[in-house]
Amino acid sequence: MAYIRKRTLLNRIFEAPAIGKMAPGTALFVYACLLFWTLVVAFPLYWILITSLKTAQDVNGGPFFIPWVDFTPSLHAWKELFVFDYEDTLRSYTNSIVIALLSTLLCISVGSMAAYALARITYKPKFGNILLFVIAMIAGMYTTWKFGVDWKLTIAAAVAVWFLLVRSIGRFFKKSVGNGDILFWMISQRILPPIVTVVPIYMMFQNLKLLDTHIALILTYTVVNLPIVVWLMYDFMNSIPIELEESAQLDGASRLRTFWEIVLPLAKPGLAATTLLVLILAWNEYILAVFLSTSNAQTIPILVSAMNAGERGILWWSMCVVIIIMIIPVVFMAILLQRFISKGVLLGAVKG
Amino acid sequence: MQSSATEDAKRLSLRNLNKSFGSVHVVKDLSIEIEPGEFLVLLGPSGCGKTTALRMVAGLETVDSGSIELGGEDITNALPKYRDIAMVFQSYALYPHKTVAENMGFPLKVAGVARADVDAAVRETAAQVHMIEYLDRFPRELSGGQRQRVALGRAMIRRPYAFLMDEPLSNLDAKLRGHMRAELKHMQHDLGTTTIYVTHDQIEAMTLAHRVAIMNEGVLQQLGTPREVYDQPATLFVAGFMGSPPMNFVHGSIDNQRFTSTNVNLPVSANGSSVKSVLGFRPEDSEVGVAGSGLFDATVFASEQTGEYTLVTVVLGDDTMTIKMPRDFDAAIHSSVSVSFPTDKGFLFDKVSGNRESIHLVGG
Repeated sequence: MAYIRKRTLLNRIFEAPAIGKMAPGTALFVYACLLFWTLVVAFPLYWILITSLKTAQDVNGGPFFIPWVDFTPSLHAWKELFVFDYEDTLRSYTNSIVIALLSTLLCISVGSMAAYALARITYKPKFGNILLFVIAMIAGMYTTWKFGVDWKLTIAAAVAVWFLLVRSIGRFFKKSVGNGDILFWMISQRILPPIVTVVPIYMMFQNLKLLDTHIALILTYTVVNLPIVVWLMYDFMNSIPIELEESAQLDGASRLRTFWEIVLPLAKPGLAATTLLVLILAWNEYILAVFLSTSNAQTIPILVSAMNAGERGILWWSMCVVIIIMIIPVVFMAILLQRFISKGVLLGAVKG
Repeated sequence: MQSSATEDAKRLSLRNLNKSFGSVHVVKDLSIEIEPGEFLVLLGPSGCGKTTALRMVAGLETVDSGSIELGGEDITNALPKYRDIAMVFQSYALYPHKTVAENMGFPLKVAGVARADVDAAVRETAAQVHMIEYLDRFPRELSGGQRQRVALGRAMIRRPYAFLMDEPLSNLDAKLRGHMRAELKHMQHDLGTTTIYVTHDQIEAMTLAHRVAIMNEGVLQQLGTPREVYDQPATLFVAGFMGSPPMNFVHGSIDNQRFTSTNVNLPVSANGSSVKSVLGFRPEDSEVGVAGSGLFDATVFASEQTGEYTLVTVVLGDDTMTIKMPRDFDAAIHSSVSVSFPTDKGFLFDKVSGNRESIHLVGG
């Protein structure tokens, strides 16, 4: 009567026994894949850990896999970095902490304000005015280069002329750019490969005599990470219903009070997640640090690569020690970030 | 209508308000005088400009031209916080990170009222809106009706001159909506606070309003008591918008003091302002009968029993009409029936301008 086939053995293996259950065959396959991939991912970490405990002979004579069986673990690399050379290690570590924290702080405060402004205010800068500004700046630079006038003077004059032009002929320009264009312009700063921008940034800090200082790295990281903050926070600020702010206005709150008492608490989860992300990016950054720091402002990633130097060859054991102390905070930050994302605080936090 | 709470009897006046968004003229020359303590409902379909008008009164939209005055004082460009007006939003706009008590107390806290006084006011207001047990809850822990009450409480707490309400009941289910409607009416009566209420629901307008302002495409169509707009619709739009089911229309023409359409030929008191004309009558004023016995004959399209009454849909030419009959009535589909109604319950409209004609059907 009914057209339902009987379950064959193959069905029993590859078909779910009930709704919402996994077929035994599928489960086996899935867990096997996951286990395999876990090993692939975890092995390098394990390898770094045991390498940090190996002597030069054990590394070069290897491969040895299991401590106490294949080789005798030794703390010589740890001792070297934390007892004999501890100043260098400590300096890099504090540098990394100071630079990552301060640049993140700066980046988040500037970026979230920019994001809020872009989410709530409609900007219509005239295209012609932007063009005029560029022309005025070029004219200023040309004057400095051609006639040797002090650059501060020419720039001030250029700004003044630009201001007068905007007030007088600015209103005749029709075409204007909008918030979307501003947002795209910001993210476009991130499209260029960082290595391409390194040379001008290097020359700039060289001229300012700020190479190998904390401030150079803090400023650079802030600018580099700003587009990410603006983009993430823009989305987040946009998801806060505007009625809440309108209601606060009618309730008598000033603009600033509305921002502090209504917008900021609601944006907190987004701010926290964005902060973590930017902190991780700043902590891991290598290319810019290579160019902008030598010893005083050296960060941890630079210390890692410094282990590949000199006539002694690559000091694998020491490098692994530095890698371990470098990734520990990142692992904690990643766990924290994962919590934020899995709790859904990033998405739809404002509902209800 | 007037209460002792408004001893200075301030009037809220909207004068020739205009507002455009880009090329769309959303509010056109809107003028309304709102009496102290009045419950005024702005009614119209979505996009008719009613919410924009309300937001202009709140100070959330700028005014292109025209003025808003409160007790003779021009508040057209005043900041929202200086208008002495509270608003209830469609989404309630409760602060998600604040408790019920903090939400309600926020307007007073911002105004710098001492903490103890805020607490006392919150308790008093919470009692009025029956939320006293929920003061420590967060908005997400409340039902739709409770959130609605908190929003009302937050509006009430600082005793504003006027309440502005933007479709406050539209997020509630049908049963709760009916209940909250009654509560709102009761509360507004007791407080005696001037209220402007925006809705697209004509039942809410009819039941709540002292006066209804019906808007369409940014233009005020008619301003009057619910009875007036229902019984004496000024335009074709008002006639078709009010009532459920709405007024029936027969499209035809008036010539030689007679209204003619398919199967229809009725005498009228005089010729209209234009030849093209529309005859309107309400479903509950009319009845169907044996073919040939009424004002005109039509064909039955469907007969629906709702339990309370029977709705008979008939077709006449291109027009479809609904007639409300007693609950035990039934008519066979495709059969021919007559339609009749008292001639003083028929309205004639100028098809071109949409305005009601001053002429009427002649008894026959």
